[in-house]
Parts: sequence; structure tokens; C-alpha cells
Amino acid sequence: MANIREVAKEAGVSVATVSRVLNHPEFVSPATKEQVLAIMKELDFSPNNLARGLALNKTYTIALLIPNIMNPLYPEIAKGVEDVAHKHGYNLLLCNTEQDRKKEKDYLSLLMNRKVDGCIVTSSLLSPDEIREIQKETVPIVVIGRCQNNPGFHCVFTDYIKGGFTATSYLIELGYARIAHIGGPEFLYESRDKTEGYRKALIENGLPLDDTLIVEADNEIESGYLAVKKLLRLSPRPEAIFASSDLVAIGALDALKTEGVKVPEEIALVGFDNIKMAAFVEPKLTTVAIPVHRMGLTAARLLFDAMEGGDTTRGRPFQEIDLKPKLIVRKSCGHEDRIREIFS
Amino acid sequence: MADLRVSFLGLTLKNPLIIAAGPLTRNGAAMIKALNAGAGAVVTETIVNEASKNVRPRLVKQEQGLQNIRLYSEYSLEEWAQEIAQVKKAGGICIANILGYTPSEMAYIASYVEKAGADALELNFASPHGEGIEVLSADPERVSLTVGKVVETVDIPVMVKLSPNVSNIALLAKVAEHAGAAGVSAINTVRSIIGVDIETGKPLLPTFGGYSGNPIRPIGLAAVATISQAVGLDVSGIGGVSSWEHVLEYMMLGAGTVQLLTSIILRGFDHIQEILSGLETWLDTHGYVSIKEIRGKALPKLKSFEEISIEPYTALLAAPCPLPACRLCETACVYDAISKETGDNIRILARNCTGCGLCVSVCPEKCFQMEWGE
Repeated sequence: MANIREVAKEAGVSVATVSRVLNHPEFVSPATKEQVLAIMKELDFSPNNLARGLALNKTYTIALLIPNIMNPLYPEIAKGVEDVAHKHGYNLLLCNTEQDRKKEKDYLSLLMNRKVDGCIVTSSLLSPDEIREIQKETVPIVVIGRCQNNPGFHCVFTDYIKGGFTATSYLIELGYARIAHIGGPEFLYESRDKTEGYRKALIENGLPLDDTLIVEADNEIESGYLAVKKLLRLSPRPEAIFASSDLVAIGALDALKTEGVKVPEEIALVGFDNIKMAAFVEPKLTTVAIPVHRMGLTAARLLFDAMEGGDTTRGRPFQEIDLKPKLIVRKSCGHEDRIREIFS
Repeated sequence: MADLRVSFLGLTLKNPLIIAAGPLTRNGAAMIKALNAGAGAVVTETIVNEASKNVRPRLVKQEQGLQNIRLYSEYSLEEWAQEIAQVKKAGGICIANILGYTPSEMAYIASYVEKAGADALELNFASPHGEGIEVLSADPERVSLTVGKVVETVDIPVMVKLSPNVSNIALLAKVAEHAGAAGVSAINTVRSIIGVDIETGKPLLPTFGGYSGNPIRPIGLAAVATISQAVGLDVSGIGGVSSWEHVLEYMMLGAGTVQLLTSIILRGFDHIQEILSGLETWLDTHGYVSIKEIRGKALPKLKSFEEISIEPYTALLAAPCPLPACRLCETACVYDAISKETGDNIRILARNCTGCGLCVSVCPEKCFQMEWGE
């Protein structure tokens, strides 16, 4: 009994094409459809995944754990994972862990018991040992998150320290010295890294570190609003604000406007993440883009490499792939709507 | 008949013409079409981790040049595996042009396309648009780390595509060589704005882009010569190749192969056979058995500025002017040394002529020569 990949290979077409023959034959040329159907018959292919899976001890399902389904970054990661999974003929199970360690552990255990064929965990709060304790030997796990936190797993990560450093350095280059930082929740490593990047930029440019200029928020719009209310009480006020997420920056912008403070003329603002809304608020938000869709694509590819036993590691047990953040310059830091290319 | 085969990156190509990364190599079918038209090899459109979307419009031709603001391939890695496999099944040589933004990302894509059957890699971190004012490969440290990581990850040869939008292309070539690259290709497109619509006050395309075509050939030739002087790697010349003469020019300055794209876009694939015939005829009439013999021929004649001695050349009218109405020589002479009286009577004022040589190339009838003498 063949699987969809074997049919694709024999027919000389992609897995997606075979899937279309099964599910949307109206989008396939008659000649290709004939060919694929003939191969399916020849190889005794059954499109019944469950039957097939049971016979092969596979579910043709992978799982993705994300910490917060309401944060617009994570659906983009999910889309990336799903794009690759679909091409391999797999389904995706999405689990929202609510940034809760117990929930994350419970989900992982459930998934291992339901025998998913592979699993991707995003911004995990668990230690590598805790994950390994739950993991079944036959179920590869890929981590989206800082690799040194997760030794012993394939991982995809982005350098948030560099991201925070880039955002802050840019404000310093523009001439701002009294730069506030609205940090994210301390228990998330991404938040700690962005703050570290912020501090590093100040130190490298000989600017003083002033803890009164750092306010912790929880990555939601409302907390950005409240953080700015706090910062505006300082004397002197900050000249610029680096917010740890665009959601927080949008809340910050709202508060600044409410208080009659002009952005960027009186206070410059930089966010983080480059969510779609960042380009549609007024003023458009300068931010650091994190390649989230690409993270999902890459994590899924690493997972399928591990699941299919492909030798892409050349003897190295685990792959660590670093995806670069990118500064997107827009009006909120003091520039007109000029194209980003002018700046490096 | 002269032998057009060349050895490049350890591969044997039936001729030195390679179709460069771009829309004409956007998938398997397009690449097979290029190979069937006679190309020695193809380079895929830039393969990226995350398929890009292309803006509209994105290509403008003006005079002999083309500006493009096309980014990278719209196909996913998974789709590229199929496309490369098609080319390999058809027996063609397929060089995968890839882009990753970090050494680990570039290495991952490299291993992916190697598994798919690519014969070699071209690392493209030289796009002049979409990546900021400095191309990614302007940073020697980034080049070194990325090339090193890719070389350690794959077995197939690695070529680095360099940009003209840098201040020291020789340094980057040396860094690539030191990091283990097997070859260098140059040049990628030139950062440009092709023009402005003066009636609407809008640039012809809404952002900076890559300029290609005949006008960039001198920049490409200089880059290839510089790189050939600096490193011992295989070099692929790119930029404004639109005739068999241009192929010879690039090869004489050190290139082992050339890459074409703009001229094929503008003239069609039949142009490849015209170039190949032209090459064979020239090689035969000049007594060459193989095209490999001409590689680097012009390099020894390139000098550093200090080595050029000042010799007493002045302009000489070698043939009477057959165009009474033409005054190009008089107009172009910046030293007021040429006067054209009524009819075809051209006078060279010896006391004004400083031997600049411009009249020789300005005259459409080749009436002038440089004369050596007191």
C-alpha cells in the first residue's frame, strides 16, 4: 500500500499535485490527472489517511504549539508550518499554550499519546530536559526559539538581542540620547534579549543606563498605553521610546496622542515585530521585522528532514538556523515616508 | 571547427554561455527551454527560504538598458526540488542561485538544493534593491562566514556572485577564495533609477532597482579583470553580453564562462545560436583549436596607472572624410585641435592636439588614427 509521496515520485509530480487530484481535480490538467490516477491504481494507493496511517503506524499529522493565539505573530508562524506540511501531505494540529508551563506540558503529553508524527514548539517555557522527558523517541521535536536554551533539538531562532540593539542604535544615530524602553514580560527570553540589546546599544554609544527609563509591559496594546502614562511623568521626559512589540507601540502611540504629545516631532517611537498594522497607523511605525512566516517554513522543513531521516546534517546531530531581523524605517522615528533603502 | 567546451567549477560545459538567474530560469520548463536553445548551463532564479511576491510593473527598458525591481523566486523550496529534478532528468547543468540572510540559513538552502540535484551553487547576496543601500555581500566578514558555512555543508562547488555596488570587489573575491569558494561571478545588476517621467514627476519604477544590458558591460569587464588579477578562482562574467564579441572580451579578461539574460530577453533564444556561430567562426579564422586558449589573453596588457608611460601620440587623419555634413570630430575635440572647414576638409591643429584619442572612436568612418612621433 503506497503513500502520497510514493505516488508523487512515481508520477514525477509534486505531492501538492497529487493532493489536488484527490481534492480539487478541476485544477489539474486532464493528462496529469489520468497519469496520477493510473499510478495510484498501480501502487494500490488509498486516500484514506486514517486507514493508511494505521497500517503504517503514522498519523500524517504534526503539531505546532504556540504561546498566544491572539498575538498576530504566531498565526504567521502557523501558516509557514502549514504551507510546508500541506506539501508533504500532512495535517497540522495547532495548540495554544497561553504562555502556561503546565498547559504546555499537558499538550505535549497529549500529543505524544495521540501519536503525532512530529512536533514544533514555539517560545517554550520548558527546559530541554523537561521536553525530553515527555518526548517519545520516535517523535522528532523542533524548537522555534533561542538555541542555547534548547540544546539537543533542531532549532530555528532569531537574534532578539541584535534586534533590540538595532532598534536602539538607530534611535541613537538619529541623535536621541534619552531613550526609554517598554520591555515585554520578563519570563519570556525574547523580552529579556530585546532589553539586553537596548542596554548594549546605550553602553556601546557611551550613553548612561537609567532604570527609570525602563518599564515592563505584557506585550498587549493596553499595557503600552499605561507604560507611556508612567514615562510621561518623568522629568525630563524621554526623547524616544523603544517598545518591545508593535502592539505595545500602538498602545504607546494612543497614550502619546491622548496627552497631546506629537510623534515623532516631540517623542520618537520604534516598535518590534512589523505586524501588518504597523504600516497603517499614523504615523507609520518604525519597527524591527521578525521573519515569522519564514520561521514556520524553516521549522517545518527541519521537522520533515528529521521525520524522513534525510541526511542534511552531515553528521552533526542538530541543525540551528538563525533568521535575520530587519529594521524597517518609517515615519514614527522622525522620517518622512521615504523608502527604507536610503538607510542601511 | 573550434572546440567551445569549457571546464568550469569542475563541470564540463558544452560551451561557455550560461543563462543568468532571473525570469528566464524561473522554473524547470523555462530552464529546459534555455538549454534546448543551446546554453551550456543555466542558473536558477534566486531560490529563497520564503517565496517572494513580485510587484507590478517591475521591468522597464530604456535605450539599451533594463531596470528591474523583481526580487526572488515565487516558488517554494519544495517546488524548486521538483524543478531542479526536471532539469537534471533532461540532462542539463543546473547551477542553483540561492539567498539566505545568515550563514546558517544560506547553508540550509544550499544543502536542500544539493539534495535536489543542483550541480553547483551561486550565492546571491548582491541584489541592489530590497536589501538596503549596501548589498549584503559588501561586508567581507559576512561573505567569509557565509561562504565558509556553505562550503562546510555541501559537496558541490560554491560560486559567489558579487555586486558592482561595492568599493573593493577584489577584497571580497579574496575573502570568498579564502573561505573555500570554487568560483566568483560578477557582476550582479547595478543600483539604478532608469529614468523619471518628467510630465508626471514620477520615477519610471517606484524604487531603486537593478540595471542591466549593454551599458553596464564596461563595469562588468572591469570587475572581471579585477577579480581575475586578485584570485585564482574560476570566474563567470556577467553584464551586457549581447554578441559573440562580448563573450570574447569577457574571456580575454579572465572569465571562463559568461552569463546572459537581458540580451536573451530582448532578442530571444535564437540569439544563443548566433553567438555560438560567431564564436566558432572567429576562433577558426584566428587559428584557435579551443576557446579555452583565449582565456586571460588581454590581462597581461592591463597596467597599473603608474606603469603607463607618456608617449608622443597625436591624432592623424588617415582617410579623407566621406561625410561632408558630419562635424562630430570638431564638436567632440575638447582641445579645439580639429577644425572642419567647408566640405570635407579637416585640419588638425598640431599645437593644440594633446593625443587624447577621442577622435579615433568618435568618427563613425574611422578616419582618425593615433600617430607616434615628435
